[in-house]
Amino acid sequence: MSGGWYRSASFILDKQRNGSVLKAESSPMSPATMATENPQSQQNPNPQISLYYQTRAAHHAVVTSDWLAQAHAAIGRHPEDAVSDNSSLKSAGAEESGNGFSVVDEFNNWRKQPDLAEAVAAIRALASVIRSSQATTMMELEIELKKASDSLKSWDTASISLTAGCDLFMRYVTRTSALEYEDFNSAKSRLLERAERFGEISYKARKIIAMLSQEFIFDGCTILVHGFSRVVLEVLRTAAQNRKLFRVFCTEGRPDRTGLRLSNELAKLDVPVKLLIDSAVAYSMDEVNMVFVGADGVVESGGIINMMGTYQIALVAKSLNKPVYVAAESYKFARLYPLDQKDMVPAL
Amino acid sequence: MWSSKQKFDSVVDEFNNWRKQPDLAEAVAAIRALASVARSSPATTMMELEIELKKASDSLKLWDTTSISLTAGSKSRLLERAERFGEISYKARKIIAMLSQEFIFDGCTILVHGFSRVVLEVLRTAAQNRKLFRVFCPEGRPDRAGLRLSNELAKLDVPVKLLIDSAVAYSMDEVDMVFVGADGVVESGGIINMMGTYQIALVAKSLNKPVYVAAASYKFARLYPLDHKDMVPALRPIDFGVPIPSKVEVETSARDYTPPEYLTFLFTDLGVLSPSVVSDELIQLYL
Repeated sequence: MSGGWYRSASFILDKQRNGSVLKAESSPMSPATMATENPQSQQNPNPQISLYYQTRAAHHAVVTSDWLAQAHAAIGRHPEDAVSDNSSLKSAGAEESGNGFSVVDEFNNWRKQPDLAEAVAAIRALASVIRSSQATTMMELEIELKKASDSLKSWDTASISLTAGCDLFMRYVTRTSALEYEDFNSAKSRLLERAERFGEISYKARKIIAMLSQEFIFDGCTILVHGFSRVVLEVLRTAAQNRKLFRVFCTEGRPDRTGLRLSNELAKLDVPVKLLIDSAVAYSMDEVNMVFVGADGVVESGGIINMMGTYQIALVAKSLNKPVYVAAESYKFARLYPLDQKDMVPAL
Repeated sequence: MWSSKQKFDSVVDEFNNWRKQPDLAEAVAAIRALASVARSSPATTMMELEIELKKASDSLKLWDTTSISLTAGSKSRLLERAERFGEISYKARKIIAMLSQEFIFDGCTILVHGFSRVVLEVLRTAAQNRKLFRVFCPEGRPDRAGLRLSNELAKLDVPVKLLIDSAVAYSMDEVDMVFVGADGVVESGGIINMMGTYQIALVAKSLNKPVYVAAASYKFARLYPLDHKDMVPALRPIDFGVPIPSKVEVETSARDYTPPEYLTFLFTDLGVLSPSVVSDELIQLYL
């Protein structure tokens, strides 16, 4: 796996950003080469550092006096908003700023697409909040966004990826020090651009993950899968389409029968599947080459939160020296740090 | 004088009669049946008796090829030994229950897998001695063994918590010890038990929880599996509740093998033994 950096997600994103300028997709190019090809690029002001890391560096908020002034102005204009924030949250998705736009409706519209992850739908909905916002200052816009984000999060409090997605959206979109120095309209269009970019990244995340995991699946391997993750399904589907020969062990996944649903999908792809009861994982672990799971959330320690049974399978896999791979989109990174199993709000 | 065929059919009938008693383990029933063969045998030499007993035990084995404890039980050759085993097996459960009492302390949490009459006896005795403890039962797919066990324990007023099989690692923090029975104890000191036992023992060992096995000595078998696939599998169909596509295979094995390094102690009627001691005992027994 030499030169793996050019398969890194950040490089792929940069290739997409600097689109048609690149001549050959197959030959790896350093960012410096790219910059000389495209010296007029306005999207990448510092060609030595990839865009991905630049945006991360810009995430540190700077509280300036302008920012504070805008905050006071916003609160002064809508005193009832600040007070009634709590009550408005309860009527999830009620009119925002009186313009009849309901973020929850937008969210539900996006969710009708069966393959779309909840968090991606939320991100798209929040982007449209910006688009249809009638705020005139940055602070108002941020308050609107925060209310919309809260109402989306309260729609399903047990969903870690939804909460994480909304939080990350807020950080990605609003925490940039350059915003205070521009006039509102161009700032707003910049916000919108970033929001839509974040939506695109999240939407394409599954494809990127599927592509990255292909080299880990070799011919003749046996993969153990737990739970029903669309990301993992995408990984396996891509491998099947690339004509790799492998077989899959599916745990039954009590009590949801997720394993049965997954085995259905895999049978359609003509992948050999074997169903195991949850107790038979250790029994079959000898024949397994790797374990693949999705994640509901990725926590700050680097661990994951996933369907019940994942910890058990990972423990067994580790005892028998089998690698455990997790396929998780970056919007699932959550602001949690559980110290033990009982340290989280349980999803019953 | 019966004809051979009649005689050996009657062994199976006798065996079935004994088996109808719900509290009797299969092996004990086999031993009792063989004992009555020996008792009613017209053989005049030890050799004839041995041959008759061997034929009877073979017919029993043919009749039910999937029972490991039956195979171990059928190895008994002498009448006296058969009778002695019969008595000991009843007492074995009592002895095991008594030996395990000091390992159960007030306020402890016990995880139990599968439905073992010996383990039930252990817990019943503990409850009667007014010990305060609670039990976690994994449901034991697909037999629902855990559900049956939780029924029995509820009758004893022992607090029970049912878990899905996947939730064992999640709950293992709160557990103080794991208790299982055994279908068979093998020469390495490991055990053969209901599918899932190996997994639970693995998880318990990773989290430093002791795994105790309650098994009477007639379960000791002349097997030395090197891995899971080294045994004749006992297959059992699994009902998933929904139809599964025809191309999909199912792992239907009902039992797995737990190597001795994952077991802490075995409570047997010969005493509280560590797996290596069990290994020695077995070698002595079959030498």
